Amino acid sequence: MTTPDTAIASPPATTSDFHPEVVAFCCRHCAYAAADLAGGLRQPYPSAIKIVELPCTGRIDIVNVLHAFEDGADGVLIAGCVNGSCHYLRGNLYARQRLDYIQALLKEIGLKPQRARMINISAAMGVQFAELASEHVDTVRALGPSPLRGSVRKEGKPA
Amino acid sequence: MDVAANGHPQEITGAVMVVGGGIAGIQASLDLAESGYKVYLVEKRSALGGHMAKLDKTFPTNDCAMCTISPRLVDVASHPNIEILTDSEVAALEGTAGAFTATLRTKPRFIDTDVCNGCGKCAEVCPETLPSLFDEGLCQQRAAYRLYPQATPAAYAIEKRGVAPCRDACPAGQRVQGYIALIREGRYGDALRTIREDNPFPGICGRICNHHCESACSRGKVDEPLNIRGLKRFVVDREYARPRVAPAPAERRYTERIAIIGAGPCGLTAAQDLLCQGYGVTVFEALPAPGGMLRFGVPAHRLPAEVVEREIQDILDLGVDLRLNTRVDNLDELFALGFKAVLIAVGAQEGIRLPIPGNDLNGVIINTHFLRDVRLAEMKRAEGDEAGAAGVDPRRLIEGKNVVVVGGGDVAVDVARSALRLGARKVRMAVRGSSGRMPAGEHEQKAAREEGIEIDVGLNFLRVVDDGAGHVAGLECERAHFEPDANGRRSAVTVPDSKFVIPGEVLIFSVGQRVGLGLAPADSNLHISRDKTLAIDAETTATGRPGVFAAGDCTSGTAFAVQAIASGHKSAESIHRYLREGVAKVAEKPALSVAEMSQDDIDRKLRQRQIIRTPRVPMPEMTVATRRGDFAEVELGYSEEQAQAEAGRCLSCGICSECNQCVYVCGIDAIDHDMVEKTRDIHVGAVVLAPGYQTYRAQLSEEYGYGRYPNVVTSLEFERLLSASGPNNGHVRRPSDARTPKRIAFLQCVGSRDQTHDYCSAVCCMSAAKEAIQAIEHEPDTKIRVFMMDTRAFSKGYETYYRTAREKYGIAYTRCRISDVREDPATKNLVLRTWDRAGAREMIEEEFDMVVLSVGMEIAPEVRDLGRRLGVELDDYGFCCTVQFDPLQTSRPGVFAVGPFREPKDIPESLMDASGAAASIGELLFSARGTLTREPEFPPERDVSGEETRTAVFVCHCGTNIAGFLDCGEVAEYAKTLPGVIHAEESLYACSRDSVSHIADTVRELGANRLIVASCTPLTHESLFRDCARGAGLNPFLVDMANIRNQCSWVHGKSRGEATAKAKGLVRMSAARAAELKPLKTGEMAMNSNALVVGGGPAGMTVALSLARQGFGVHLVEKQPELGGALRQQHFGLDDIGVANPLGRNGVRIKPQQLLAELVAEVEAEPLITVHRETVLAKTSGFMGNFTSTLSSPDGAVQVQHGVAVLATGGIEYRGEEYGYGSDPRILTQSQFEEKLAAGEAPGRVVMIQCVGPAKRYCARICCTVALKNALILKQRRPSAEVTVIYKDIRTYGFKERLYDKALEAGVRFVHYDDARKPEVSSENDRPVVRVFEEILGKEMALQADYLVLSTPLVPPPAARELASCLKVPIDADGFFLEAHVKLRPVDFLSEGLYMAGSAHYPKSLEETLVHARAAAARAGALISHDSITVGGSIAEVDPALCVGCLTCVRSCAYAAPRINPDLCGVGGVVGAAYIEPALCQGCGLCAAQCPADAIQLKHYTDPQLRAKVDALFEHSHEIRAS
Repeated sequence: MTTPDTAIASPPATTSDFHPEVVAFCCRHCAYAAADLAGGLRQPYPSAIKIVELPCTGRIDIVNVLHAFEDGADGVLIAGCVNGSCHYLRGNLYARQRLDYIQALLKEIGLKPQRARMINISAAMGVQFAELASEHVDTVRALGPSPLRGSVRKEGKPA
Repeated sequence: MDVAANGHPQEITGAVMVVGGGIAGIQASLDLAESGYKVYLVEKRSALGGHMAKLDKTFPTNDCAMCTISPRLVDVASHPNIEILTDSEVAALEGTAGAFTATLRTKPRFIDTDVCNGCGKCAEVCPETLPSLFDEGLCQQRAAYRLYPQATPAAYAIEKRGVAPCRDACPAGQRVQGYIALIREGRYGDALRTIREDNPFPGICGRICNHHCESACSRGKVDEPLNIRGLKRFVVDREYARPRVAPAPAERRYTERIAIIGAGPCGLTAAQDLLCQGYGVTVFEALPAPGGMLRFGVPAHRLPAEVVEREIQDILDLGVDLRLNTRVDNLDELFALGFKAVLIAVGAQEGIRLPIPGNDLNGVIINTHFLRDVRLAEMKRAEGDEAGAAGVDPRRLIEGKNVVVVGGGDVAVDVARSALRLGARKVRMAVRGSSGRMPAGEHEQKAAREEGIEIDVGLNFLRVVDDGAGHVAGLECERAHFEPDANGRRSAVTVPDSKFVIPGEVLIFSVGQRVGLGLAPADSNLHISRDKTLAIDAETTATGRPGVFAAGDCTSGTAFAVQAIASGHKSAESIHRYLREGVAKVAEKPALSVAEMSQDDIDRKLRQRQIIRTPRVPMPEMTVATRRGDFAEVELGYSEEQAQAEAGRCLSCGICSECNQCVYVCGIDAIDHDMVEKTRDIHVGAVVLAPGYQTYRAQLSEEYGYGRYPNVVTSLEFERLLSASGPNNGHVRRPSDARTPKRIAFLQCVGSRDQTHDYCSAVCCMSAAKEAIQAIEHEPDTKIRVFMMDTRAFSKGYETYYRTAREKYGIAYTRCRISDVREDPATKNLVLRTWDRAGAREMIEEEFDMVVLSVGMEIAPEVRDLGRRLGVELDDYGFCCTVQFDPLQTSRPGVFAVGPFREPKDIPESLMDASGAAASIGELLFSARGTLTREPEFPPERDVSGEETRTAVFVCHCGTNIAGFLDCGEVAEYAKTLPGVIHAEESLYACSRDSVSHIADTVRELGANRLIVASCTPLTHESLFRDCARGAGLNPFLVDMANIRNQCSWVHGKSRGEATAKAKGLVRMSAARAAELKPLKTGEMAMNSNALVVGGGPAGMTVALSLARQGFGVHLVEKQPELGGALRQQHFGLDDIGVANPLGRNGVRIKPQQLLAELVAEVEAEPLITVHRETVLAKTSGFMGNFTSTLSSPDGAVQVQHGVAVLATGGIEYRGEEYGYGSDPRILTQSQFEEKLAAGEAPGRVVMIQCVGPAKRYCARICCTVALKNALILKQRRPSAEVTVIYKDIRTYGFKERLYDKALEAGVRFVHYDDARKPEVSSENDRPVVRVFEEILGKEMALQADYLVLSTPLVPPPAARELASCLKVPIDADGFFLEAHVKLRPVDFLSEGLYMAGSAHYPKSLEETLVHARAAAARAGALISHDSITVGGSIAEVDPALCVGCLTCVRSCAYAAPRINPDLCGVGGVVGAAYIEPALCQGCGLCAAQCPADAIQLKHYTDPQLRAKVDALFEHSHEIRAS
């Protein structure tokens, strides 16, 4: 198997000055609350994680995730409720389906699918949020900078 | 209801008190507040949430309990018409239904809930720990705490039992427990700060204090008191080892100057306090150095000069104008100099000469002069003034001499030991000892003796012997003992012929000191007391002359330094009040109770090994040999290790130690340690009692070893162990060794179904199944065995859940009640003995790593007290008795009981109760609905369309929560550079009241049209800042929050640069999104206030009556020609067989058929109810608030308009062919059998088979109860009747367990079967015969029956399915209506405006049906009580021009909000495009993401808004990475 990540652009030789950026789409009812709790419990995780709040992971459109990668995100985390506990019944299941699709697309365009990940956690899982967020940043760090960084969009804001 | 006619007062109060803040109380509060009543929610603890907040998951959906309860907590906290009163209890309830007055008692929380913003700094610095209140004692928490992170209110609380005895005993009120706790934490600097709070002379008191604290110390009841003085000295020595940093001069606030006469401990304490208040202070001192007795009265071997000098210098540096060598003799002169007040603190410095012959011979010295001269000489020598030193040094008088010290107090010992150190040949102490012993402290005496001083006690002094040359030669004494005379004074009774002379060339009198009264001539208005001291007002220290105060020894006689300090404080406060208010006064301190520990408490803790006997750590001392001739300090002080060990002995009597560290860090003055209990009266029309339950105290079942064996835990503890927010973050660990248990046993019915509890706790079987499943989910190779009697999985989805536990998770169930648990002391594993299964009849032993006791529900003693205080009738267990067929009504009209308080029950049933009570109250109070509620008011909204983005940014410090970890100033400056930002500033606490109004003012003044608050989480604070924006005339959706606390400062605290960079990034993202935000309109839609109720059984009729009584019109639709439904088949209640004892309505109990007649009559008489008989619902259109339904009957179709619909279509008895049903008239169902019984039959032999037909799939809940009820009716009528019940599990939950007991007692036979060996029915000799395998006998039995009665389940009527499709509501696998949330929304459909009641939801007993019906009435009534509904906000919207009409949105929406509207045109002008009904949209955005044509946008989360936010992250990425 090839390493598609490197097929587009070469990452820096060393990763010591690599500061990844990971966009974390969090549903308001569980994951965002878990992140709040992680803070309340003073659970550290890398500052690479930047949270974007949404009512439900079911709101996340494939293009939202692709835009993040296009902008240069090294990773995307989708964090929703535990399966069966979605506040809107099935939103997180839809999100999971879309993630599968997104991962397939990433692969197709030469990005490692592991750069996008979905986690399911409850509002009581502050510690676990920090752990899983750290884990994802580690994964992304190991993959190196996104080859799309700074390479796709040169102009200003999209319409 | 005609209120007046029913004896209720005409004046109805539109407010309700809800007692208990668990989930039931929360639900009742929300329903009532939504229905237009003001609610007071009274909670005993510091936060709402009750037991549910402690749960990990909830069955049967395995939802996270916190996820489901926390939105309710936010709702209840932010509801404008709910007032939450925590730490409160109801003391009394006066009045009658409609107009009660409740007296509330609020315990001090020591933190103001209105001020505290929950930042948690107090808990961080709190040194005291206690077993966690929330985590069942499995870990420790701080005394300053929040019950759990999501607690509501978010404010912290302080757990305090009272003032610790040590502090109480100290005259100066030293926070002893506080500094000891800080020592234990190694925070010595903080400890010193705490000490200095009350005492400016800690180094001095650490050495010479007479430590009343130690006498009061509770540790004395264990072994020995703590060496508190030694600990204090340890802290001081350690801190004083660093170079002294001079304190800054105190800020002068007042022009007045105050004169203090005397620079002793009292005068200097007052000087310090007054300087800190802001006065000018001049201190006059007659001696050449300040310090008074501390400097000139205590010898250096006990108190080194440098300690005194340092502590005095700390005071002088505050700005004391010190006049040394200045004696003041005239107060008038001071006032003439302009002093506005004078404090006399001259001490008691005049030594006393005994009036015996020879008292003035040469060689007689007075103690005070002697001690003073020793220190003066030392001082002069230190200054290099050898000549001056030689001039005063008493050494020359003493050296080589025999010295006699007359007196036995502490000062006398000081004198004697000083003499020894000055080189005396021999020192003897002659002590009168009139009280029978020497007055000096034990420790002092011991030290003196060790140093070789002879002490002779019990003497009467006769004369000083003259050597003939006018010089002392000795003291002549006689031996005496002292007996009290008539006046109570002890007088000497001399021993005959006991005269003798103590030889000595020097004699020092040390028999007390007197006050020098030079300042008090007769005309000075100063009075002299009988004790020859200055007379003062004891409360204020004021003398008879205005402006003149006196304190310290000169008012009390010789006392200890700490008393002088205390009196100095008091004087200073009094002088301050005198100067400011003109009246000398001391603030009244609230009398806080003393946290005494009783001997019983201590013995218990000793037994439980919470306290281990450990003696006091000895104080290291100089060896005796090195002490002579040297004034070096004798006590050497504790090392750190010794101090830690000694501090570790503290029992923390008060819990909170009042160390004040929390006060120092609280940036908003929320903490007040002087809070006291408060009482308050509130006026309410009705009361809901939801006090909940306590779990059975498992230590009472000693056989299970709980409390002795660490690995035996309760189910609630296990719940916390499982919880992700629990003590181990969700990893189950054994308490003994933190290993993961691999073999776990659950013991059911601990404190249920036993000799002391004749009821079933109803939830334990399911919660054990849930906990077992979760344990396996956490650690898949865990083996779990549940020991139970019956598994009571009797509610919706429970049987499936139980089956999953067994089949999918392999959890083993054993029918056995374990008689004892034994521990293997080596491994701490637990051994259970049980009967071998498979009938081998042998005892087998099984070892487990952990045992979980499923503890039952009880009513707490304080809840029983509450019941008694409120005058509601309770049963023997403390459960609340309620009225027959009105199961929430207590014995006191207007007071309702809900939740486990009236019977053990689970969460959904508690919620049904809660909502049901809200309906009952609505019926009672509806005339006052809306009279006490208020809606917040805002100025008109400004139109910002067409304006450029003008964003105002506020960066919150959150005290140090944010500012401590990142640079808020830099973030604010950075924000100013962002596009669209016109203003950025910092805010100390953005959420404080002042800040919120400042933000609103700023936004208004600057004409800003976007608001960004960079602070904490929007989940808790967004509504606050949205209201703030509305206050500034902005649309609330123009607010964005950057969560730089929870997502940044608290997470990246280790690197300030990194945290600052991320905060900038978050603010930049926020600003980008803000620019894209659009004002969102919320609209009002008219609400039709009529209800449609489908089903005319007991549920439907109750719903209809309740809604009508709340003032709403009702269409009641019944398919049959007659009302009544299943109630028409019920003839007996549990009270008929004596297993239930409901209160009679108006004192009279009735039969079910009478109830039916009454209900029908009431419905027919109710003008607001329109009954449609022989009618079905044919069609419904519309949505919440605006439905139109077509009702079809033989007379034709009618259309009705309604705002809500309640489906109460009930259930029907299953009548399938199982067990020969239908083939023989003697094979009956239970309801047919009940008809026979009602007709008077009493057959001799009856066999009943349980769980027939679909009941194999789901438990129909009530069949066991009905079967046993009918069995007992028969037994009552014909005791000789043979009744056999063939069962799988007897599921008589809650109080229905009494049926089971009674049936066993009455001789009903029970034979168990399982699905592998079902009973078989045949016909022999023209009778039904049942063959069943009897497990205990191990063989098959054949039972002949007059009647074979089949317990068939209730199933949904066929029409339910049609109804469901007509209304587009879901049904479950068994055909029952599916509620919005199995746990928390048991009467609502997911679609708003639709509700269910009674057995249509799931089979229910009559009482349960009546409650569920009222709950539906409450939920429906709350909605239609509003004139209009608010729609809009963050909802999805279709752009029809892009819609292709593909139906994707219609299919994906769980709420049926999108539909194809034929009036709209889609892409290409094709008729029909999707339309999303705003009233139905829940705002999840699923459709927006699903729409293949991108025709749908979720407002407030539109693609451009999300995109802008993500883009912004990368726009300045170099900057974020700069760190």
